[in-house]
Amino acid sequence: MATTNTTPDLSSHPGAQTERDAGLLVSLPSLPPDSLQATLAHLTEAFPGRPLLVTTPDGAQTLPSGSSLRVVPYTPVNASASPWVLAAADFVNAYELAQKNQAQSVLLLGGETQSLSVDALRSLAMSVEAKTDLTVACYDLGPREGLVNSAILYPVTRALYGVRPRFPLAVDLGLSLRMAEKLATVAGRYTAGNQPDALLWPVAEAALAGFSIQEVEAGARVLPPPAGLDLNGLLGMIAGSLFADVDAKAAFWQRARNLQPRLVQMQTIPPNDAPADVKPMLDTFRLAYTNLHELWSLVLPPASLLGLKRLSQAPPNAFRMPDALWARIVYDFILAYRLRTLNRGHLLGALTPLYLAWVASHLQLVDTGVAPEKHIETLATAFEADKPYLVSRWRWPDRFNP
Amino acid sequence: MWHSMNHLMTALQVDSTGQPVQYSNYGQPVVVDQSWWQQITSALTQSTQRVLENLAHFLPGVVALIIALALFTGIGALAAFILRKVLTAIKFDDRVGNGKSSSVIPNLQDWAPSHSPTALVARTAFWGFVLLGCVIGISAFDSAYTGSSQVALFLLPYLTHSVGALLLFFAGNLIARFLARSVLIGAVNAQLQYARFLSLGVKWLVLVLTAAMVLDHLQIGGLVVELAFGILFGGIVLTLSLAVGLGSREIVSRSLERNVERAPEAVAPTPAAEAGESLRHF
Repeated sequence: MATTNTTPDLSSHPGAQTERDAGLLVSLPSLPPDSLQATLAHLTEAFPGRPLLVTTPDGAQTLPSGSSLRVVPYTPVNASASPWVLAAADFVNAYELAQKNQAQSVLLLGGETQSLSVDALRSLAMSVEAKTDLTVACYDLGPREGLVNSAILYPVTRALYGVRPRFPLAVDLGLSLRMAEKLATVAGRYTAGNQPDALLWPVAEAALAGFSIQEVEAGARVLPPPAGLDLNGLLGMIAGSLFADVDAKAAFWQRARNLQPRLVQMQTIPPNDAPADVKPMLDTFRLAYTNLHELWSLVLPPASLLGLKRLSQAPPNAFRMPDALWARIVYDFILAYRLRTLNRGHLLGALTPLYLAWVASHLQLVDTGVAPEKHIETLATAFEADKPYLVSRWRWPDRFNP
Repeated sequence: MWHSMNHLMTALQVDSTGQPVQYSNYGQPVVVDQSWWQQITSALTQSTQRVLENLAHFLPGVVALIIALALFTGIGALAAFILRKVLTAIKFDDRVGNGKSSSVIPNLQDWAPSHSPTALVARTAFWGFVLLGCVIGISAFDSAYTGSSQVALFLLPYLTHSVGALLLFFAGNLIARFLARSVLIGAVNAQLQYARFLSLGVKWLVLVLTAAMVLDHLQIGGLVVELAFGILFGGIVLTLSLAVGLGSREIVSRSLERNVERAPEAVAPTPAAEAGESLRHF
């Protein structure tokens, strides 16, 4: 099980009472020295004169002049090997540190923290100190960034759980103590099974527990790149984890829910170069249509296959995947994941060309002048509209499905 | 054989005094010597006795085989039922499922047939007991025969080997299908134009290997099978190589050229590598 050795224990230090009163603990990931110093400088600027508790696995640090931060180095016994995303070990470590230092709330920050603006740090802290259980950062990304999130994670999470955080797998979170405890409990099951890299879905967990969720604008941020994973591995890992989580929480999302209003609007950074080259993606899709049709027919109903056939015959400039078709495809893959219609590795591998087809269609649409966020919102609405199909087939998978 | 016996039986008749009479081709009755008749009767009786003796030896073995099979099938069903209850109680599916979310390596869940890992374990236990019943039944069947018995010499090795051969055949087919699909999906995602051909090649390689192993296990064909397998296996590999290297030269070169041109995006489309295309999937 993942545990942390915190040194030194603050309760034995002079001024411990002041630290306890601080309430907020900032948990940093392992960072290069320059990045760590930049992050500490940002934190000093964001919280001037405040005795903020900052934990880092990188050993003792020299603080910027005039800083009131209290940096607590610790040694994670079982650290995550996926620094590009918050994994189970991170949640376990954060809660143990919060408990040990009697913090009331936690700012859990992901890799490349130095790129997080001072305002974003302040917004996250303010939200979490206003007794919000889960605060999720909303980043400003370009139209060609965060595509897995836009295509699958956000629409599925929104449609199934009725919550609107634009980045369900955000790398910067604000957690109340009870939310941190809840996530640590869930994460503990993974770390106990020697799976410290397992992904958690904090938004879904918060929705399930009935905790309050708030989204704050975090502006532009450099997101840590997934190392050592190609698109197939990445999609298999993330979509597989999401599908497994959807399966585990089926009893919850099958009940109808009202959608929370959205308070933050994501700003899209305009593209600064020529239209995207979608030809390789279209080639992959067409090649897959001729070769993987047999596998897709095990998962998708005839109507979806017909839609894909039309897509495969469409000329490149008129290549548009209808939102309803993509929503239906994702739902059918979730169902196939649940029913194990195919080996799950094969299933997620067969999803990759379809995802690339969606990306090509989305990028072509954006190049025609449609705002990316508008398209993503329309897509999310299509997922919501098609949710009864998922619920129906989840309950009666053998029912006739044209 | 049966035809000649029938002929003999119809040709021999018995007269009113009880003497065996045979009729010549011209319809004249010819009295047969009594010692001949006795010899034939004795031979037939002895044959019948031997058949009945063999049957008497054979039947207990069969009954033992059936009883062992039925008993172990029942025990297997009971064990599977208990296992299913216990594993459900300890939430085995959830525990196994926990490991799935981030693991790239296929785990037990991937191999679960259609319901859950619990079902997989329960079924494995059930079929394990059935197999054990087969083995014990066959050994009981075997003990019913003496070592010099012709049946024991020829039938039993095939009976025992056929169980292993069936398992080999089943496993080979599963592996062939699994590998064919893996290769097909991997090749399509790597944008290889000859993905289906590659997949079929791998499938038939594994199937040919399986068939050779099954025949070898059944000790059928001997050296002929080994030679045929070597020729066929080598032939498939050579065909694949030639097809990819020569026959599909243009396709391969086009495919390779495309990959080289788009190396950062298509071959390993990691978000970092796609910086040139300014495309980030996550």
